[in-house]
Order: sequence, then structure tokens, then C-alpha cells
Amino acid sequence: MINSKLERILQKVQKPGRYVGGELNSVVKEKSEVEVRFAFCFPDTYEIGMSHLGIKILYSLFNEKPYIWCERVFAPWIDMEAEMQKNGLPLYALESGDPVRDFDFIGFTLQYELSYTNILQMLKLAGVPVLAKDRKELFNIVVGGGPCACNPEPIADFFDLFFLGDGEEVDLEVIELYRKCRKAGASKEEFLREAAKIEGVYVPSLYDVVYNADGTVQRYIPKDGAPEKIRKRNCMDLDAMYFPESFVVPNIDVVFDRATVEVLRGCIRGCRFCQAGFLYRPFREKSVETLSRQARSLCETTGYDEVSLSSLSTTDHTKLFELLDELHTWTEDSKVSVTLPSLRVDKFSVELTEKIKSIRKGGLTFAPEAGTQRMRDVINKNVTEEELKKTVSIAFNNGWEHIKLYFMIGLPTETDEDVTGITELGHKVVDWYYEAENRRKGRPVSVTASAAAFVPKPFTPFQWFGQDTIETLEHKQKLLKSTVRNRKLTVNYHGAETSFLEAVFARGDRRLSAVLLEAHRRGLHFDGWGDCFDFDAWMRIFADLGVDPAFYANRTRSFDEVFPWDHLDYGIRKEFLIEECKRAYRAETTPNCAEKCSGCGAACFGGGICIAKRN
Amino acid sequence: MRKEIRIWFSKKGASRFISHLNLNRCMSRAIHRAKLPVWYTEGYNPHVFLSFAAPLSLGFEGERESMDIRLIEEMPYDLLLERLNAGLPPDIRAYEVTEPVMKPGEIAFAEYHIVFSGGDPEGTSEALWRILHNDALIVEKKTKKGAQQVDILPYFKNAGILVLGGGVMMDVTLPAGSEGSVNPSLFLEAVEPHLGASVLAKVQRLRLLDREKREFR
Repeated sequence: MINSKLERILQKVQKPGRYVGGELNSVVKEKSEVEVRFAFCFPDTYEIGMSHLGIKILYSLFNEKPYIWCERVFAPWIDMEAEMQKNGLPLYALESGDPVRDFDFIGFTLQYELSYTNILQMLKLAGVPVLAKDRKELFNIVVGGGPCACNPEPIADFFDLFFLGDGEEVDLEVIELYRKCRKAGASKEEFLREAAKIEGVYVPSLYDVVYNADGTVQRYIPKDGAPEKIRKRNCMDLDAMYFPESFVVPNIDVVFDRATVEVLRGCIRGCRFCQAGFLYRPFREKSVETLSRQARSLCETTGYDEVSLSSLSTTDHTKLFELLDELHTWTEDSKVSVTLPSLRVDKFSVELTEKIKSIRKGGLTFAPEAGTQRMRDVINKNVTEEELKKTVSIAFNNGWEHIKLYFMIGLPTETDEDVTGITELGHKVVDWYYEAENRRKGRPVSVTASAAAFVPKPFTPFQWFGQDTIETLEHKQKLLKSTVRNRKLTVNYHGAETSFLEAVFARGDRRLSAVLLEAHRRGLHFDGWGDCFDFDAWMRIFADLGVDPAFYANRTRSFDEVFPWDHLDYGIRKEFLIEECKRAYRAETTPNCAEKCSGCGAACFGGGICIAKRN
Repeated sequence: MRKEIRIWFSKKGASRFISHLNLNRCMSRAIHRAKLPVWYTEGYNPHVFLSFAAPLSLGFEGERESMDIRLIEEMPYDLLLERLNAGLPPDIRAYEVTEPVMKPGEIAFAEYHIVFSGGDPEGTSEALWRILHNDALIVEKKTKKGAQQVDILPYFKNAGILVLGGGVMMDVTLPAGSEGSVNPSLFLEAVEPHLGASVLAKVQRLRLLDREKREFR
């Protein structure tokens, strides 16, 4: 796929391996033998995109159909992008090298609000009109899916349709519909109207939005027979659900370079800040047999010697130890190691460390999320200081001396005491090290506490909450730093400004499409990257367009406000979220799904933990 | 048993952008995937023991690269190659297995084939000829001691230039080993300003040689 124009450019850019494809297990088909070409676009660099499990699942799923050829496209880094524009090389797909503008579907995965400008930049580099209304043919259909699709309103003007929920089935149904419509010579409008009838498909152009005088949404009016509520798609039987037998193996360093199996989908915990915990309900898990088979197949087809057991909370798999034992029946002989991406404070044990060798590498990371018990009750983290003490003591007594703790600041009801509670907890962890009798002597203990700024998200009990202003967040950050009184504790924090922008777009409405368009026109992109993020430029755009970002980020909403995402149905009842929000403000916890059903509404999908027997 | 073998492979196309470090990982994965009976290092995280004769610069194609591994069981070489190739990116092909005759430390020279395409071949050829017949070609060479001004022209006195089809070929043998090496990219950077803007140079390393310019085996 490397032509001489590209060849010349590659000599001038960093990490040319990002731009050439040619990896093991990448799928190359004969162009003339396929009917639908799908450009799967990840709006960030190759290294980030190739670490993402979702793209690997859908890439393989699509390519299993003989009539579809799905190829990968990543955002070229700024040096490459400048060379491409200078030399008139349009954005191309990695497998064929063909321009993205030649593809039937241009699909974006929506993982992060700050990658929205990259979507526009990629469309521009492809030479495809960024506004959906300017793409008139039944071709270059721009689609999106992933967590940010739960409120896609800020990017609604650029997309033809969104997939809500699990993509494993609905994506193929839409591609099949497109194929039929092309054969029948249907128009793009006809195709979109038909697509809107498929469960899990949201066609934004089929809805008119009416706003109140105060700028809030009054209502969404569906047109042309589009449904009033769009329900997300759910795959209930994870053992029967598609999972790839092999992954494309990157030739260059990527963030996560290993085999990954998804052990479960959803989460039982109901942490009130966590959007994923609500979006992916109900909790469903794969059987031990399925997981072992899938992990083995991946290792055998890729050559990876590491398999990661991925999910929102892997230690909540009901048969975790059985799974680890089953994996050990073949991983040792195959020289494969098993890793867990994250550990819950209350699920750490000596037994677990013995079963997972990889835990022994480096430091241990836990996420208490908040510094005081009151605050942890507000967010429903359901982890106590006692549990943290027990866990880190086990760790210290078993040879660890580096502990990393993740926290958030800017949570609802948070006071200065809650913030300083973070450093206090950090100091206690240092003290617990010296109380641990079997600690490894002669090595310095180090505790790192990282504090991220909380971003309220749709479909969570905190979706009404006005985010702390940048000034308040910066005050809390300073407070954190100033209360450290031990060199063995390091406190760091990041991004009040990026968190603010993320909050604007997370709960934004359609009027923000104009802001994104203007940001794109002024050349902003890669906002998630420190070297590209230009906060002042963003603030100038808001000012120039007369849009108040605080309306979206910092305004506390009332319970009767209509949200720009209220017509999207993730199975979670708004009344449940309101009840959860009220409980949060009373610092009352809610039992997790394994203990007791709290009636969130996800039982409407008729599966997973909602119908399972509880212990 | 423990038997050292040398696997010969080519590295072309997209795979020439795989760095040396990543080539190591790529080969380890392919060997692991092929379940070859090879010796793994002992220790906490066992990994395939393998070593390469001489690193190839990023962006260069290699026609006859080599990698040494240790077999702990006999295995037919054609089967070994077949299984290994199944786990390698399509642009890396292993094609021969031999028993090592020389040590990588004996490597002293490398043969390069450079293709200049695009632009006017006659003009390119003339420009190259002029440069090669100057008194000196001073380039900046980065060494451990910092940047150094070096005249690389003497190393290119044996270069052959041929206009063929729409391009210009240049063949040159350059020092490449523990006693110092000259990377053709030094030459290419120096001549670039003298060639047309549309001229593109592509470097292939054909094979490695010892001090007496015998082929590395």
C-alpha cells in the first residue's frame, strides 16, 4: 500500500510504523469481491487506538462477512498530518492504502469527549464534508458508537447515525440494510429512515429540538416515523456473543500490547460517579470455559505471552478463582502470564497474588476515589478505611513497597476536609507500612496519590450536578499539595481545564456542534494531548460565538429539567437516578447488584444479574 | 540438546519501519506462536533467547538478515520456516536455516543497493557522479563523544552507479561492524540538496561481509 508519495513523507515523520499497516493478522481482501467497505476510525493516535479492545472486536466481526471489508484508520500525529496536507495525500486506510473518501461507511468510536475535534480533523483530511447535511449521497455514511454515544448531541450535526449499546449485532444489521438500499437504488434519506427502525440506532437528523427561553431543552420531536425513545442494544448471552479468535498484532510499541479477553460486561457496584457502571448494565459474565477458550485462541494466533482479563471490575467475576485455575492448566506450559488490569480494595488477598504472578511486578494500584468515609458513601464506593488498611498491609507484608492510590476531587458535597482527607489517608498508608511486621526492610516505602477532577456525566446520579469551577478545583489542588507532610507521600493532580471542557461536551446539546465546527476551523485538535491543548483558544471560541460553557459544565440542574439525552434509553430509569442522587446527598449507600436489586430498570433487558439468583 | 541455528530472513515493505527493538519482540512472538522447540531464558519472566547479527536501520530493506536461536530438539528446517512465517508480518519472510559458521563479531562490512527513483535519472546520475568525484564529502556524524565532522567520501570510492529503467542504482560496500560503521543515510542526507526534489532514495542491505569481504555465514 506504500506509494512513492507516502514513501517520501514517511522519511520525514516520527514513528512511520504508525502509518503503513502490514501487521500480522491484518485483513486484506480483494476490492472487487466485497460490496461494503467500512473505514473504522479511531480519533486518536495508532498507539492509543491499537490498544482498544472494541475496535478489535468489531474489526474481526465485520471482516468475517465475505461481503464487508473493514479497515483501520487512526488520527495522524501533527507532523504526519502537516506532511499529508502539504503533499496532497488524503487520509487513507491502513490495509489497502485507499482514501477514506472511497468508503461506504466511515465509523468513529466515541471514547472521549476531547477527541471530538479529531473526528472533524479526520473527515477534513479525508476530504469528506464534515456536516451530515452536506453529504447527500447514499455513500460515506458517517456512524459512531461507544460510551459517548449516550449523549451524542454536541456531535449530532456531523454524524448520520449512532449505535447505542453493544455493537455486536446492530452494526451488522445496519450494514446489511445499507447493502440492500444500495442495490435497490434508495436515497440516503430512505436508508436513514429505515435504519431508525432498528433497535439501538439513533438518527439525529430525524429529531427537531425545541428549547426553552432559559436555554434548556423543552422537547425532542421525532420526524418521519422515528421512535420517540431510542433504546440501546444489549447482547444478553456473552458466551454466544461474537469474540475474535485473533487480533491484529502491532509492529510498533502501543500502550497495551497483549491479548485481552473481556470477562464480563457491566458492573454490579453502582458507584455514582461512574458512567460506564450505568451504561453497560446489566452485569453479564462469560463462563470459565468460554474465557479460557478465547484467551487460548488469542495467544495461539498472535504469539502474545500475556493475556489480560479485562472488564470494569474483573474481581467481581463470580468464578474468578476457578477461571484463574483453569487458565493455569495451559498458560504455564505455553509460557503465558495472566494479568488483571485493576483491583478493588476489598478484593485483594494473598490467594489472589499467588494465582496471578504478574501482580508481583512493580507497584500496586487501588482506587479509594475519595479521602473520607462520608465522601466515599456519597459516591457509593463502598470501600472502608479498614479494608484499605487490610489490603495495603497484606501488600506490605508480601514484599510490596510502592502503592498508588487514585482519587477524585470536585465530587458533590465535597468540603475542604474531604480534600485534606486524601492526604491524610495517604499519610496513614505510609504509617501502615511501618506497622507491617513482615515488610521488606531496607527499602523506602512510596505512596502516590493521584487526584483527577470529577466530570459529571449523563446517565449517572450526578448528571444534575454543577461541576466545580476551575477556580474551586485549583483551590482544592493547592490544598492537596499544601497538606503533604511526608516525603514518602507524593500527591499529584491533573487537568482542571481539560476536565472543564470534557464536562461541557459530556452534557452538551446540539448547539455545541457550532462550537466544535469553529474550533475545527481554527485548527484545534488533539485536545486530549498536553502539547496540543489550548484552553485560551477554546475560551475565545465560546466568547466569540456567545456560548456560555458554564451553562453546560457548572450549572446545577433541577430534577425536572429535560436533558438532551432523555430520548435515549439505556434501560436506567430517570426516577432511579434521582433517588440515587438524593441518597448521595444524604451520604446513604446503595447495595450492589449482587446483594440486592435496587430497581434501576436494567431488568427490562431480561438477563444477566437481573434474573440471576443472588447469594 | 542445545543447538545454535541461524535463520535467514528478508525484511521489506511495511516491515522496514519496524525498529530493531520491535523486531526482537516481533520475532519472539512469532517463535512463541510457532511453538518452536527453542531455549527460553531462565528467570522470572522467561523469554525466547534470540540474537541478531547486525541491527538494520529503520526504513532500510534487508535482503539477507539473520537471527540466531537455540533449538532444544531437532526439527525439520522446512517445517520450522513454515511455522515461523505463519506468525510473522507478511513483509518479513524467513527463507533459510543454517548452522552458524561465523560469529556476528566477525562482521566488518555491509553491501548496500540504493535505488534513486523519480526525477530525471540522467540528472540524478550526473549529480551523484559529481559528488563522488569531489575532494571530500564532509558530514556530521553523531558518536558517543558528540557530533564529529567526518569525510565519508573515501568509503564511497568503490560505489557503482547505473542508470536503469526510470531510476538510478548505486551499489556500495561500507564498513559495518564493531570497528566502526558508515551508515548510507549519512551519504543520502549530504547529497539530498543536490538531487531533484522529486527524487526518492530507497536503501536495501543485500548482505553482510567479514573483514576479508567474505559473505557472513
